[in-house]
Amino acid sequence: MADTNLYAVTALFRTPDQIIAAAKGVKEAGYTRYDVHTPYPVHGMDKAMGLPETKLGFVTLAAGIMGAVGMISFASWVAAVDYPQVIGGKPYWSWPAFVPVTYEIAVLLAVLLTVGAMIAFFFKFPNISHPLHDTPYMKAVSSDAYGVAVRADDPKFDEKEVRDLLKRLGGEVSPVEFSEEFRTFRPRLFEPRFLLLLAGVALVSAGGGYVTWNKLMFMPPFDWMMMQPKAKPQTVSTFYADGFGMRLPVSGTVARGFTLYPYTITDRADSVGALMVNPLVPTATVLSRGKQKYLTYCSPCHGNAGRGDSRMNGQFPNPPTLHSDKVRQWPDGALFHVMTVGQNVMPSYQYQISREDRWAVVHYVRTLQRALNAQESDLQ
Amino acid sequence: MSVTTIDYSKEAPVVEGQPSLRGLDDLIAKPIDEFPHRNWFIGLAITGTMLMIGAVSLGWLLWKGVGVWGINQPVAWGFDVVNFVFWVGIGHAGTLISAILFLLRQRWRTGIARFAEAMTLFAVLCAVQFVLFHTGRPWIAAIWLLPYPNQHGVWVNFTSPLMWDVFAVSTYFTVSAVFWYIGLIPDLATLRDRAKDGIKKTVYAVLSLGWRFSNRHWQHYERAYLILAGFATPLVLSVHTIVSFDFAVSVLPGWHTTIFPPYFVAGAIFSGFAMVQNVLIVTRTAFKFEHLITLDTIEKMNKIILVTGTMVGYAYSMEFFIAWYSGNLTEKFVFINRAFGPYWWAYWIMFTCNVFTPQLFWFKRMRTSLLVSFILAIFVNIGMWFERFVIVVTSLHRDFLPSSWGMFVPTVWDFGLLIGSFGLFFTLVLLFIKFLPAIAMSEIKAVVPGSQPAHHGNGAHHG
Amino acid sequence: MNHHDTTLVPNNELPAGAVRTGWILTALGAALAVLSYLTDGHRAAFNHLIGFTFLASVSVGGLFFVALEYIAGAVWSTPFRRLSEFLAGLLPVTLLFGLPLIPQLHTLFHWSHADAVAADPILQAKAPYLNETFFIVRFAVVLGLWSLFAWLFRRNSMKQDADRDQRHTTTNIKLAAAFIPLFAVTVSVFSMDWLMSLEPHWFSTIFGIYYFTGTAITALAVVTYAMVSLSERGYFFAGVREDHYYSFGALLFGLLSFWAYIAFSQFMLIWYANLPEENFWFIARWQNGWEWVSIALVVLHFWLPYFMLVSRPSKMNTGNLKRSAALLVAVHFLDLYWLAMPTYSKTPVFGYHELAFPLLAVGIVIAGLAVQMKRYNSVPVGDPKLQRGIDFTL
Repeated sequence: MADTNLYAVTALFRTPDQIIAAAKGVKEAGYTRYDVHTPYPVHGMDKAMGLPETKLGFVTLAAGIMGAVGMISFASWVAAVDYPQVIGGKPYWSWPAFVPVTYEIAVLLAVLLTVGAMIAFFFKFPNISHPLHDTPYMKAVSSDAYGVAVRADDPKFDEKEVRDLLKRLGGEVSPVEFSEEFRTFRPRLFEPRFLLLLAGVALVSAGGGYVTWNKLMFMPPFDWMMMQPKAKPQTVSTFYADGFGMRLPVSGTVARGFTLYPYTITDRADSVGALMVNPLVPTATVLSRGKQKYLTYCSPCHGNAGRGDSRMNGQFPNPPTLHSDKVRQWPDGALFHVMTVGQNVMPSYQYQISREDRWAVVHYVRTLQRALNAQESDLQ
Repeated sequence: MSVTTIDYSKEAPVVEGQPSLRGLDDLIAKPIDEFPHRNWFIGLAITGTMLMIGAVSLGWLLWKGVGVWGINQPVAWGFDVVNFVFWVGIGHAGTLISAILFLLRQRWRTGIARFAEAMTLFAVLCAVQFVLFHTGRPWIAAIWLLPYPNQHGVWVNFTSPLMWDVFAVSTYFTVSAVFWYIGLIPDLATLRDRAKDGIKKTVYAVLSLGWRFSNRHWQHYERAYLILAGFATPLVLSVHTIVSFDFAVSVLPGWHTTIFPPYFVAGAIFSGFAMVQNVLIVTRTAFKFEHLITLDTIEKMNKIILVTGTMVGYAYSMEFFIAWYSGNLTEKFVFINRAFGPYWWAYWIMFTCNVFTPQLFWFKRMRTSLLVSFILAIFVNIGMWFERFVIVVTSLHRDFLPSSWGMFVPTVWDFGLLIGSFGLFFTLVLLFIKFLPAIAMSEIKAVVPGSQPAHHGNGAHHG
Repeated sequence: MNHHDTTLVPNNELPAGAVRTGWILTALGAALAVLSYLTDGHRAAFNHLIGFTFLASVSVGGLFFVALEYIAGAVWSTPFRRLSEFLAGLLPVTLLFGLPLIPQLHTLFHWSHADAVAADPILQAKAPYLNETFFIVRFAVVLGLWSLFAWLFRRNSMKQDADRDQRHTTTNIKLAAAFIPLFAVTVSVFSMDWLMSLEPHWFSTIFGIYYFTGTAITALAVVTYAMVSLSERGYFFAGVREDHYYSFGALLFGLLSFWAYIAFSQFMLIWYANLPEENFWFIARWQNGWEWVSIALVVLHFWLPYFMLVSRPSKMNTGNLKRSAALLVAVHFLDLYWLAMPTYSKTPVFGYHELAFPLLAVGIVIAGLAVQMKRYNSVPVGDPKLQRGIDFTL
């Protein structure tokens, strides 16, 4: 390489036949780092240059399969495992319904990855500072000329030989040199102005996001769903004649599954309790349900283990421990009765905890009692 | 009609005359290089006004909610869905022309593919606004439209056809945009090299990504274009198929019928080609592209309009026949009610504009007349808009129980948004024609006579 | 203009082996068909129906491709158009083949029983369409029209061989323009009559398109198979190239994808809406062993040929093209079996009855090609588009 500034020797041709012949000539002369530039794809050029078949199709195939498998798996997992819902009386895993989205994502991924791979990997784009850019050569091949460029870093390169060859093939030869700007260009990543720009972008997007989600969304009309006219519980309503926001059930009607509890707070827990039997069997499901309800409704006063030692201690009349002999010897029904109608300062919980769940809580309380008074026989 | 003059042993030329390659650049880039004509500004003023009408209607819609529309129970879908299906349908022609005709090696597509693709993008944009705003509170639509992990622990419903729609339309828009952009890259590079001043040159240089017409790139580029066309073709079909599923998976008579997928696709091609035809004729005349968009191209477009119009006619007849053949009383009633009920006028406008008037294209003199083509194409667009109106409104307005029957009366805001969508579409078309090459330069150069090596056949009989 | 080196080979009979196979299959199939009728007339009638609809698919599909080539102005298929014309020439044979079914309408069609109609208000409502007289009229009109068009197209095309007049092409283009819409209607009527009305309560508006897709694939597969194997032996013209093979492969690929699209659309809509008046048809095909036939149909009619033809080189590979084409012809029998036989039997049945009519139908197609190849030019030598078709490059 005699001249370090030289990028390539180029030649322009005027007809498609000439350029095909030129490509063949350059290839046969043994050059490898050369390229042909034409304003549109010229048929037969791949063969003339001896280019191997493009591998782009493999990217497409892989991306398409990835998209299809990924999407059908995702849709199946969402609809059948993570968030199962009955839609139109169909099974959770209704695969025909997932075909459209699967198809779309397969196509989307195949196209995006094919194009992405082509631009970034096969073309090494974006690249807007190539030595050929802004040369008379490029301006010609971008419109109506056909060009060949043999690069100076080709192992066989010799400027005179290349010039002679291209002239013999019928081209108008001209060299292309690296521009001064091109050779001295260094990316200036840490230039203050660039950093300032980055900071500015970050600030604006963060500020914009904050204002949008925390301010704008609470301004009209975006907040109108929160202030729409409706009857809320415990409010005065001007819509109903009686002025109540809450409505009573239609007189003479009974809710589905409702049964009347026949005893009141005046009945003794141990005597009416003996009249009732726990309908549930203490399975793991029942116990975990009972635990959930106990922890939600009972533990604030009775404590997590039922010792009457909760964080309410001292602020409120403390309930006695559930592990007293009296409570342990109570029948299941007595516990149920207390939960249902209340006792002393404890209110009724029949509206908070369903009948079935109260029986589950009874089982859970029994488990707590047994755990705190474990016998040696329990270990066997 | 002098039929004997046709010579079947030669292909009709894609480009008439013997233009030089640079001459083609000059011609196509003329609207970009020059200061626009007065008519362009007049056009922009008109479409801009329409766009403003749409913007005002949209603002009012956002302020008050979808109650400003004429929708009600039982007609809960009105102009929103009608316009959505209409615009998505229009958006089918572009990709169809680029992809299907490319695969079928119909080289006459070269002159019209670029702006048909652009029209696809604009039409899909118009369509998307309607589905987005018909959700009522579009600013939180992401919750039901996008499957992203969230603190509510809920997922979107993949069994819902409306969900498929989101996937189909967004995929379609993305793929069409990519397809369009890939096609634009070489032309942007040509514009870059033509541009003199700084800003224009920088913009085109950045957009063209540094394209240098290298054959080592053309090789991958051509294959990618083929692959994209191969994917875009079934994608076009799938999009309107999925739009038809929105209706057809229901149990509503008039919506639930198995012919809907191909019928919708045919209708979409039909309306899309008509819209392309309209814009085509205007552009061709305004910019003197007569040699690039030949009369032969317009005639071929008209033939496709005739074929797809007849397909749509087949679907109408088949629906009617099967409604009777099914022996299902509700089904029968819905169809008789469509043609002779309170919305009879909509049905017959649809039938006339979609099935009867395109039959004029059987005559060559009609097919090759610009005026007739233009008017009939407008008719087709009117007819196809009414087709969607008929499907949506007449199927809904007679519910199963006569006590739930109702009527749909559009409000001024319904029309405002419809006008606005036309404004948006044509504004974008005008801007596109000004700033980007309306005809694919690199593609048209490849089919000009003499542009390919002799042993491969020249442009005139190649392919 | 410099043309590819081509020598037309217009006068060439089918290879002797193929002719022999054709006649042997015809004879064997006919013998088995007679045996089938003698042992189980009910089952034989259903299989006869499958054979008949298959022959109709092949022959009217051929006619469709002839018309399509004219109306679309396609050139790549012109050198091979005679194959489609020969298939269309089988339409009168198809008519004859279907004629023995007419006395057996009672065996095939539930709606033809007066007592059944009397007890069924829905069938009464359909009686103006589904009655024997009108059915026979439609049968005669549809096949008559198809035969007439086949005769007209072929007459003009053959005349052109002699006088090389471009006006015949113009006439045929006009004929094609008239035929295509007519074809859309007739093929729907034909398929609804012979296949859909087997279950008289069932209805599907897409059914005509579904059957049409089958006819197009089958006819194209037959043409592709013949075109590839004959080109390999030097028929048509010297130098049939990958460009031609690719076009056939690509069209087959497109059509089979279209079939899958139509089939899936029909299934999807009926499955999703789940209305009892429609879904029973698919339920019958998803139980008692029919589910395996359904799965086989999806795999063999779509997935397998799809992957066989998906890549660019595979559409140019002659061996692969022949295999795919043969597969697609075979699965059309499976398709028709899947459409028709669930009416005959609750469980899938397979025996020599089911072999007899397919053998006979395939035999007739090959023998029919042999007879016509002997009589006519196998290349439309006078067609003005012929040279463009020979020079065709991708």
